Amino acid sequence: MSAYLGQIYAIVWKDLLLELRTRERVVAMGAFAVLSAVLFNYSIDRTAVRPQDIGAGLIWMTIVFGGLLGVGRTFHLESEDGAFRGVLMSPVPKDAIFLGKTLSNFVLLYVVSLLIVAVFMLFFGMEIGTSPAVLGLVLALGTLGFVALGTLFAAVSSGTRMGETLLPILLFPVLLPMIVAGAGATERLLAGRPVSEVVGNIRMLAAFVLMAVAAGAVLFRFVVED
Amino acid sequence: MKRLRIVALPLVVLLLVASDLGGQLPGDQMATQSLRAYWHVFIAYAIAIVMVLGWVVSIARRLARIEAQLGQ
Amino acid sequence: MTGKGIRSTGTALALLGLVGMLLVYWLSFFWVSTDRLQGVSQRIFYIHVPAAWTCFLAFGIAALTSGMYLWLRDERLDRAAVCAAEGGMVFGTIMLTTGPLWGAIAWNTYWNWEPRLILTLLLWFIFLGYFMVRGSTENPEKGKRFAAVVAIVGALDIPLIHLSVIWFPQFLHPQPVVVKPEGPTLDGDMLTVLLTSLAVFTTLFFGLFLLRYALETLRAEVRARERAATA
Repeated sequence: MSAYLGQIYAIVWKDLLLELRTRERVVAMGAFAVLSAVLFNYSIDRTAVRPQDIGAGLIWMTIVFGGLLGVGRTFHLESEDGAFRGVLMSPVPKDAIFLGKTLSNFVLLYVVSLLIVAVFMLFFGMEIGTSPAVLGLVLALGTLGFVALGTLFAAVSSGTRMGETLLPILLFPVLLPMIVAGAGATERLLAGRPVSEVVGNIRMLAAFVLMAVAAGAVLFRFVVED
Repeated sequence: MKRLRIVALPLVVLLLVASDLGGQLPGDQMATQSLRAYWHVFIAYAIAIVMVLGWVVSIARRLARIEAQLGQ
Repeated sequence: MTGKGIRSTGTALALLGLVGMLLVYWLSFFWVSTDRLQGVSQRIFYIHVPAAWTCFLAFGIAALTSGMYLWLRDERLDRAAVCAAEGGMVFGTIMLTTGPLWGAIAWNTYWNWEPRLILTLLLWFIFLGYFMVRGSTENPEKGKRFAAVVAIVGALDIPLIHLSVIWFPQFLHPQPVVVKPEGPTLDGDMLTVLLTSLAVFTTLFFGLFLLRYALETLRAEVRARERAATA
């Protein structure tokens, strides 16, 4: 068990170190988030709609699109110089590779999602609500479920001719539970509603995460096998 | 059963309201409304048969082509 | 069943289904009584409900055989999956087009964020992805595995999608959609037509499924011959 965890840790550390050195994906996702918020501001007529009212939905859509940018490139760098072949040939079980990749993607996207929320607060004068910790949990569950399915489907789409263009087609239909539960909870929390109102949403998100991680861990080996 | 009743009750109310509204519609409007319903039924039935026959034809054509290929 | 057996059974079932389809059309146009509350538009249900049932059955078979394919790696399971998925797309399209046509009369709007409608739409797109993945891999074996993974994830996600669309606050409002020709309130002749139609669509699906399966088997044979010729 501890050996297994060590293997996952090795993958996570390798990916995060790579990201720390190149800063490619975090910078791309972060810039995307800030620029989207700027464009969103001018896509809303403030005399008709208050940005706070649709802020939660916009936050989640930005997470989805920004996350797509990030997870789409999960296997890019490694497949370019054939390094992923080496990772696959190492004695690490395939599900540990998947979990490692998912976790490193999760760390990146979670940081970006917090940035997105902060940017939206700043730009649109939105209130954090009364329970920021719960909001943090909702974002964590949402992004974890997203990256789990995203990593699995990124492996699928990077093996096809269409590449990343295929990713949203595969990913968006199955993301619906995350958007419904995540954006709904965020909306309520930002409006300062009590935590008891979002317990159902958190359960739904947890079920989604469980499904996504388990499905990914089991199915990943069929995607990367030669 | 309880859920059914919860759903059914507002539904019955809605239908009553709707039928009442229907009764108040002027004659002209009623006529176009019902013709529109016929029109939609025909389109729906046409779509169903076209889709099914389309699938039949496409399978038949592909089968014919592959058999020609095998015959060579 | 042998190849020939599959083909002749498929032809027989498909012919039976097509004749049955004519019967259903005749019954629902000239025989069944008009619904008192909904008027003629209710007749759309005699094709909409069976199409929906067949679509779910087909996608269910596709997901199940996909899962078994990854497990057992039997080519026949993958063939069954792709054939069922194709049928699911056909009947799903019927369901997705006839539904709004009914809704335009009953709800006075073509599109309504009705849970079942959204569920089917997403299923349709999941299997669109299934076919796109299959079609865009250099190596067909890889495509089969990828497609199976897509189908399985879709199948696992369907319960969650179902729960979330039902649960989405908007749908707590009462909706006229529950008026379905089901249950004890349905008049005898309507029930007869609906059940006939259900049987006919199912027969038709299985007939065409078998024919499509025979086609896929022949394709595999052609591919095997080509490989043998180049080797």
